[in-house]
Amino acid sequence: MGIFRRKRRVTALGPNRWSIQLAEGERATLGHLLPQLRDLLTGADAADPRLRRLFPTAYLNDAEADAEYHRFMRDELVQSKLSGLEALEASLEQTELTDAELTGWMQSINSVRLVLGTLLDVSEDSRLVDNDDPDIDGHLLYDYLSGLLDDIVTAQIGD
Amino acid sequence: MATAPTTERIIESDVDIRPDRPWVVLVWNDPINLMSYVSFVFQKLFGYSKEKAESLMLDVHNKGRAVVSSGAREKAELDVFRLHEHGLWATLQQDD
Repeated sequence: MGIFRRKRRVTALGPNRWSIQLAEGERATLGHLLPQLRDLLTGADAADPRLRRLFPTAYLNDAEADAEYHRFMRDELVQSKLSGLEALEASLEQTELTDAELTGWMQSINSVRLVLGTLLDVSEDSRLVDNDDPDIDGHLLYDYLSGLLDDIVTAQIGD
Repeated sequence: MATAPTTERIIESDVDIRPDRPWVVLVWNDPINLMSYVSFVFQKLFGYSKEKAESLMLDVHNKGRAVVSSGAREKAELDVFRLHEHGLWATLQQDD
């Protein structure tokens, strides 16, 4: 571990207890994004292309079975994503989280990344973005969320 | 002594009646989900060891996809749902 290693924002404190230390502005950034995710999830347009990765194809070669899967499962998937979002929103200002709250953070932050990455058309070999890219703010936000998600995951995997 | 001519009828059908072909759950590579996250989701949902989860994640990353679970159709569909809850691109199909 080098001296330049960034301090991890999430650490285990004990059973069902996690510490989450964020710099000023991070919680406000998340607080700003969450209502937008809720609007998308509860929006009328189920075929909104921004949602493509949140409700992916389940049957590749069987359109009928896929339509049936989505007819039965979509509402449940939306509910699942909304309850994760509620868990994050309810604990947004806390410095300690339960397992369920941390899972809500993890799933919701990833949902935002999936929407943002789709909008930005992120690809595996387009990680370097020019400073004059018109989407630079979006890419910085995307990278920020990736780092936070990685902290949340790393704390749970342990090493 | 003669033998009666035998005929063999071959019935062609698209329906596969082999009873035990299990359903497999595939996870596909995508450019957004983090490698650490994918590996963690495999551990969490399927109870795989860190090593097995990492090896499956690397298969997804390097080969484009990996089979992460299999079984009856209902179980496979539930696994796909749980993976979709976590934002991974999972599909199910009957094993070849």
